[in-house]
Amino acid sequence: MDKRREMASWLDKVLEEFQGVQVRRKGHSRLRVDVDSDALPALLELLQGRAGYVHLSAISCVDWIDDGEFELVYHVWSYETHSLVSAHIRIPREPGVYLSIYDLYKPAAFFERDIYEMFGVYFEGSPRMEKFILTEWDGPPPMRKEFDTKQYVHDTFDWQEYNPDWLQEIREKGGGIVE
Amino acid sequence: MSDKQISIPVAAGTGGSPYAGVFDRLIDFCRARSLFLLHYCTGCGAIELPPAMTSRYDMERLGIQPMATPRQADILLVTGYVATKTLKRIILTYEQMSAPRYVIGICSCTVNGGMYWQSYATVKKLNEYLPVDMYIAGCMPRPEAVITGLQQLMDRIEAGRADAWRDYYRRYDHYLGKQQALFGKHWQTPSDIIGEARQFDLLGPDTLGEHTTLLEQYQQPLEMPSTPVFGHGRDVPEDERS
Repeated sequence: MDKRREMASWLDKVLEEFQGVQVRRKGHSRLRVDVDSDALPALLELLQGRAGYVHLSAISCVDWIDDGEFELVYHVWSYETHSLVSAHIRIPREPGVYLSIYDLYKPAAFFERDIYEMFGVYFEGSPRMEKFILTEWDGPPPMRKEFDTKQYVHDTFDWQEYNPDWLQEIREKGGGIVE
Repeated sequence: MSDKQISIPVAAGTGGSPYAGVFDRLIDFCRARSLFLLHYCTGCGAIELPPAMTSRYDMERLGIQPMATPRQADILLVTGYVATKTLKRIILTYEQMSAPRYVIGICSCTVNGGMYWQSYATVKKLNEYLPVDMYIAGCMPRPEAVITGLQQLMDRIEAGRADAWRDYYRRYDHYLGKQQALFGKHWQTPSDIIGEARQFDLLGPDTLGEHTTLLEQYQQPLEMPSTPVFGHGRDVPEDERS
């Protein structure tokens, strides 16, 4: 265990040498790295090739609509040091295009296809970008913040009124359904 | 809808004979005591079925057994939330079942979306797309509730009031319209519901309408493997074709 921690702290020092990289240690097995979007492939290549972070756990996407940006988070795991590095990048919301890391990590195709479907972020060079889970879906990418899911439900589906006695009792006391 | 009085085409009790309709009642009596159940486990409610089926509550003592395929089943049990994608499969499954067929919606999600009430992908009212005989509400209903619901359905079948399956034929245009609104105008299933309605003599004033006209307009013969039949016609990529 000590050896693993030693290796992890060594990684901190190496990453601090990079320019434009902000490293924050969240725990002995968690590291958050904020990089510029154009430096990410190089960072991942380094982590994979030199530091043993061979497993891409996930790519997640966050829609910061007020900033006009998407945040992409690449989680990579090392079996040697038993630690997770989360590399955060920000890309502009428009046009919402980024590079695929399929060449480095093959599982990226799965996550990139999913993010393209849910957020509309296009990954250049990803092998398949067609419909994935939402095969019946014609609307906009539903996880984008500007998509009003409640309004969509209101327009698409009919509602069954449900007003049982117990709910009325709660309403009389000042409670009710929280929206 | 099962409470509504639906006129049965063969008028029972004609001629004033005390024995008229006895045969129908006997069939209903037998039918209620031998039910095969297809549990289409769409969501979490399915976890309440094993205790209801097996030694704890043992639905077989009521004459209800699980069945593996829709074509030999009487009851379609939809347990839990129904996604738009799942609904297609449920309709395909339902239409394969032989009449009379009964649908039970288990869990709050089938009633009005439940906790997925504001989800874009979850269907809110199952009975808009399929005729539902009975809802068992709860999140999730206990096995006791499932057993009680099944007993109530048996009572209804025995009394000849579980008539929702007829409603699917009589008001097919209505159901099809709702399905088309969700799946698009190209929606079609392999079952010929209108033909079946003719065969059962259940052709009502709302069986045919604008939506069935639309269906006929876009209907493709099933023997065309190169043309996608279901969905919105998205093609399978080259490398996945067998």
